[in-house]
Amino acid sequence: KCPDPKPKIASANNFVVRCARRAIGYQSKSMDRKFIHSRFCPVQTIRSSSDGDFFTCAKFLPGDKSIIVGDYSGDIRIFNLHTGNEEFMFQTHDNYIVHLEPNRSGEFLLTSSTWGRPLSALWAIRNSEMKFALDDEEHVEFSKVTQERIVATKLEVATIYDAVTGQSILRLVPTDSNQYTRNKATFSPFDDLVLSDGVLFDVNSGKQIHKLDKLNQTQSGVFHPNGLEIVSNTEVWDVRTFHLLKTVPVLNQRTAVFSPVNSAIYAISMEQELDNGDSTFDSSFKTVDAIDYSSIATIDVKKNIYDLAVNRFDTQIVIVENQGVYQSVQESVVRIYDVGRKRDDEDEQDEEDEEEEDDD
Amino acid sequence: MAYHYVVTAHKPTAVTACVTGNFTSPGDLNLIVAKNTKLEIYLVTPEGLRPVKEVALYGKVAVMKLFRPQHEKKDLLFIVTMRYNAMILECVNDADNLDIITKAHGNVADKIGKPSETGILAVIDPKARVIGLRLYDGLFKIIPLEKDNSELKASNIRIDELQVHDVEFLHGCANPTLILIHQDVNGRHVKTHEISLREKEFVKVPWRQDNVETEASMIIPVPSPLGGAIIIGQENILYHDGITPVVVAPAVIKQSTIVCYAKVDPGGLRYLLGDMAGHLFMLFLEVDNRGDGNDVVKDLKVELLGEIATPECITYLDNGVLFIGSRLGDSQLVKLTTKPNESGSYVTVMESFTNLAPILDMCVVDLERQGQGQLVTCSGAFKEGSLRIIRNGIGIQEHASIDLPGIKGMWALQVASDGRYDNTLVLAFVGQTRVLSLNGEEVEETDIAGFASDQQTFFCGNVIHEQIVQITPISARLISAQNKTLLAEWKPPSDKNIAVVACNTCQIVVSTGSILYYIEIHQNELIMKGVTTLDVEVACLDISPLGDGVTTSEYIAVGLWTDITARILRIPDLSEATKEYLGGEIIPRSVLMTCFEGHSYLLCALGDGSMFYFVFHKDTGTLSDKKRVTLGTQPTVLRTFRSLSTTNVFACSDRPTVIYSSNHKLVFSNVNMKEVNHMCSLNAEAYPDSLALATDSSVTIGTIDEIQKLHIRTVPLQESPKRIAYQEESQTFGVLTARIDIQDSTGLNPARPSASTMAQSTTSSSSVGSLSMSKSGSSSLIGGNIIPDYGQEVEVHNLLIIDQHTFEVLHAHQLMQQEYAMSIISTNRLGGDMNEYYIVGTATVNPEESEPKQGRILIFQWNDNKLTQVSEKEIKGACYSLAEFNGKLLASINSTVRLFEWTVEKELRLECSHFNNILTLFLKTKGDFILLGDLMRSMTLLQYKTMEGSFEEIARDYNPNWMTAVEILDDDIFLGAENSFNIFVCQKDSAATTDEERSQMHEVGRFHVGDMINVFRHGSLVMQNLGETSTPTTGCVLFGTVSGAIGLVTQITQDFYDFLLELQNKLSTVIKSVGKIDHSQWRAFNTDIKTEPSEGFIDGDLIESFLDLSHDKMKEVADGLQITGEGGMKQDCTVDDLVKMVEDLTRIH
Repeated sequence: KCPDPKPKIASANNFVVRCARRAIGYQSKSMDRKFIHSRFCPVQTIRSSSDGDFFTCAKFLPGDKSIIVGDYSGDIRIFNLHTGNEEFMFQTHDNYIVHLEPNRSGEFLLTSSTWGRPLSALWAIRNSEMKFALDDEEHVEFSKVTQERIVATKLEVATIYDAVTGQSILRLVPTDSNQYTRNKATFSPFDDLVLSDGVLFDVNSGKQIHKLDKLNQTQSGVFHPNGLEIVSNTEVWDVRTFHLLKTVPVLNQRTAVFSPVNSAIYAISMEQELDNGDSTFDSSFKTVDAIDYSSIATIDVKKNIYDLAVNRFDTQIVIVENQGVYQSVQESVVRIYDVGRKRDDEDEQDEEDEEEEDDD
Repeated sequence: MAYHYVVTAHKPTAVTACVTGNFTSPGDLNLIVAKNTKLEIYLVTPEGLRPVKEVALYGKVAVMKLFRPQHEKKDLLFIVTMRYNAMILECVNDADNLDIITKAHGNVADKIGKPSETGILAVIDPKARVIGLRLYDGLFKIIPLEKDNSELKASNIRIDELQVHDVEFLHGCANPTLILIHQDVNGRHVKTHEISLREKEFVKVPWRQDNVETEASMIIPVPSPLGGAIIIGQENILYHDGITPVVVAPAVIKQSTIVCYAKVDPGGLRYLLGDMAGHLFMLFLEVDNRGDGNDVVKDLKVELLGEIATPECITYLDNGVLFIGSRLGDSQLVKLTTKPNESGSYVTVMESFTNLAPILDMCVVDLERQGQGQLVTCSGAFKEGSLRIIRNGIGIQEHASIDLPGIKGMWALQVASDGRYDNTLVLAFVGQTRVLSLNGEEVEETDIAGFASDQQTFFCGNVIHEQIVQITPISARLISAQNKTLLAEWKPPSDKNIAVVACNTCQIVVSTGSILYYIEIHQNELIMKGVTTLDVEVACLDISPLGDGVTTSEYIAVGLWTDITARILRIPDLSEATKEYLGGEIIPRSVLMTCFEGHSYLLCALGDGSMFYFVFHKDTGTLSDKKRVTLGTQPTVLRTFRSLSTTNVFACSDRPTVIYSSNHKLVFSNVNMKEVNHMCSLNAEAYPDSLALATDSSVTIGTIDEIQKLHIRTVPLQESPKRIAYQEESQTFGVLTARIDIQDSTGLNPARPSASTMAQSTTSSSSVGSLSMSKSGSSSLIGGNIIPDYGQEVEVHNLLIIDQHTFEVLHAHQLMQQEYAMSIISTNRLGGDMNEYYIVGTATVNPEESEPKQGRILIFQWNDNKLTQVSEKEIKGACYSLAEFNGKLLASINSTVRLFEWTVEKELRLECSHFNNILTLFLKTKGDFILLGDLMRSMTLLQYKTMEGSFEEIARDYNPNWMTAVEILDDDIFLGAENSFNIFVCQKDSAATTDEERSQMHEVGRFHVGDMINVFRHGSLVMQNLGETSTPTTGCVLFGTVSGAIGLVTQITQDFYDFLLELQNKLSTVIKSVGKIDHSQWRAFNTDIKTEPSEGFIDGDLIESFLDLSHDKMKEVADGLQITGEGGMKQDCTVDDLVKMVEDLTRIH
């Protein structure tokens, strides 16, 4: 067979070439987005002040000024992004906070911890007051469009609560459980569906719509913000046809965090349990194009990544980085990274200065 | 807060789509051209293309198709915009008015969906049963075309083929049947789908062809009776009729990629194909009779016809004539010939249409030092690359000048000549008349025996029967043009002197105060045919015949003193046909009847420089559609002249203006002269097709440019221009360009001759370079060791030095292999060095890397026709932008901003740097401040701290805007353009109480331009500070776009903004948009992630469309609007107030 003809306009990997093409009317926004998501530069480091304690999870707070961080002993802290100073602290649980989610107005906060009671709760941030407790729920999330509801997960059972009263509205129990080890029920971007335990439920009727084939042991899956796809571990399912669209090997055993803009997925490795009962985390995260699921980059931060969150413009990410194994974390930091900026800019500068001196 | 007015000074010129059909009426053949947001409708005539209508859309045209509904006699236009507004337009033609009616419209966007990478595809079934749209992956939309349905509602059909590259409807199918090229992991395939309109689904796959060429990207459906489709690939062309495929691989098509086609004959046996390199091919289907009476395609033949402008679209008009629409160069009307010309081409260009697109860079210069800026743009790309010199108004090229003060009138005559050229110029002064004879370029004073030279001449001219008329205060004299003797003389019956006159070649009208005499010119005699007494004194007169070839007038136009009226009198009885009160107290000084584009007008200029104009109805002698325009500040004299076979009017005043008609609308275009008191056409042997123009002190003879508002001159480079800088001292431009070289058996050779290969002299940067390359990792790439693959295209970058007068390329300096020229400035303020240098920033581009790791800053001096490299600095990345900054050099290099000092050893030494960016693409400076434009992170303001020798970040816009250009408007206000075609204004808040607030720029203005802006430059295209204006604007920033438009942004006061906003809102309801798209939706700031209402900007294009409205509509707009009158009192706004205000606004560009 003769070689296939090559496209005359190959995609331009070098930005200078793309820049010249853009000026004559050929845009390559997806290449530019890939470029952005291949470079991260640390800009702010927040260290844990108390010995033995360590950070476990973090999110950006609305207003673009601060982050909210959970730690091993159940405390919630708010840090100023610019100064890195702690601005506010309150206790929520007795131990390890695995998940937190502020609502879009920044007034309320959902938290989940590993044991004790309550396991999950909704808080009013300003006065550190618990609005209501969800004693046995392992994971809690707001609904997406209005945030008037909360979906909570306990094993394979998902329960929808009213976010104001804490009243249980609907229980979604799969007829035949998939037994995912880390099931996290989640609303679709339009709040019409809930995915839990690999099963799609219609929120209005509470009925089971479809059960996705089980191709991994741990994750039930998350909705792509475009509303058309479900990413379930390495599998991408079409929500409308339930066809398998793609398999994305880099997402294996990773949590997918979607950027709110710019169509990127940040994938961090889930906690892996070791034989000795301890567990490990990976020290790198991956970026994936959220449109075509092509792999963009692997970024090694050389510390164990416990959590990663993206700000609303996808211009900064926050990573919870801990050193040492679980139970004996030696150093714990929350680091803010600028998306798109190259890490070694300033280092290069130093080099250059040295050269300048040499020249003199 | 900050308030701005944004307006288009030059409309987009890049052609994005074109179609041919019967649109304006069943008998008319029309060409319709889409240029970004604008449609141009032409009538195809034996004489060429005649523009009939221009339509502005509130959207960028993504797809445009003409189609013929069943049982209709003319075509309808279907358009989808980039923001998914669909519309069906019909042209309604009643008498002399063309109207574009929106027959149906609707937004076809989905809330969710993955917009396809291959863009918007739209197709219409050949029987006009259904429209098909492919907007999102995995979905196909259909809009059934039912009669009289004004809402376009699309239904979705799921489609398994996710990546569709092209789609069409097949001909000759019982049910609408799609054919598409799609891609999956195995390659590209062709598949057909039959649609059931009732079920709104795909019902079957009539046929398919898997594994076609991997680059197959275009489908041409073949009409009945053959049917089937042609699939165009990179190397192969395939025909498939559903039964058997025929494949050919013509060698001629391999060099480039075919991007567009046009069907030649209705039977569909011949097609024209255009490729990206500008080749035009003919594709023939060879058919064979199958025996059952049906033909079957046997073979496909492709022949190269010749070279055309780089095409975007092609449409076949008629008689071997086609329109080539180009985005990167001038569009063309070309004719195919049956025999090749001397260069072997079958293509002859009949007409070219100027296109500035894409504008990559530009500079504002005042080459003629007249206080009026000209714009020099880097335009086009590849073989269409050029410089364009753009000047507002009409230029007069001066050929001769005579010092002669006090001229009161001027006429050109043919005296004793063969009647081809004017040879005499008659000049009137107070109390005398002088005659100049033009003999070649010699001018000498002479006498004409029959002339009264001791009187001031009021009129003089050649008339019928080879005679000349001279009219003085005493009499009208008829003189033989051959032997110069007096043949007859007419004196007013009373003793009163003649005060005002008008004359054509057959008729004279004179007045002595309020008495008007009408005289006819006969052989050897002047016969008075009428007399009338008016109630007031006559101020001005006209008796111009109306229409081509007409020599006598049926009417006299009169302007009168005291009652300030314009009247039309019938000839010969001098009865009044019309009386029009002009209002006010200013006396009419010049009145003129004229005909533009077949429409008659009466123009009446007043003593204060303003002018009324009316539509003049020849059959009844009545006037309508009164409008007023301000031309200058002093009494204006109106004169007609002809240029390129069209009639124009020259308004002589302190702001000379040419009045002409474009698209049946009067256009007032200023002339590049300070003042003109009198003018006449002059067609002398030494000065053909010229004008004689009298000022207070002299007579100038010159030629006039082609009549258009913006005058554009083209300097073809035939390679891609990138950046431009002007150097005043050496009177040159420095231009960065890229050309394409091809690796062949002898090495790298230019693909075609172009500016850099044809320069008067050349130099090059040694490919080894003077720097030690061992420091960098990728040195082998620049070491000159890399040999590109055979046949590979390589960009070669050059610095061109171009003469500012002749635009000749004086010198070309070639950069190293893989070295891209990125930025250029000219400066003479480096350190204490007074030399003027060109400074060039470059990047070494390795295609394997995501961004350059190396580059250079080069400092050149152009002196004595020699280019000397003064200094060279190696840098660690691409130098995207350069600026002179307080005697130092500021450069943006990859993510950084660097400030270099210029040492006495003439070397650049790094002083300080700034790092907080992704890619610093743009730099602008003002005082100690630096504005940065980033790839994604919007704009940042830095301040240079002189004492510390460092940068401080003052403020930043935290919104994620992907920038394409930035500009500093004033100390606190900054303008940015981003890649979703929006502009926005940010303000820094120095007075904020906290550091955090101060460090944040506030977005105070946003607006959707609908075009990508590549460059902002401070400057203006018009003369500054001429006369008073009712519209206070501050500063002016020009911008150039990818579609070839030039626009401007200027600051306005809050009061004015509030008023214009109210006017804009009224206009947006009174003016019904074509396609029924909401104005506020169109101008809303819109990106992939958000839509926010426009704010802080006034849409000047909408404001200016006020002037196109009928008087009734104007009244509707003006009603309820209030302006601040004298003394600060609010008062109702009249139509006249608005017209004056909007006209003043049109004068800023």
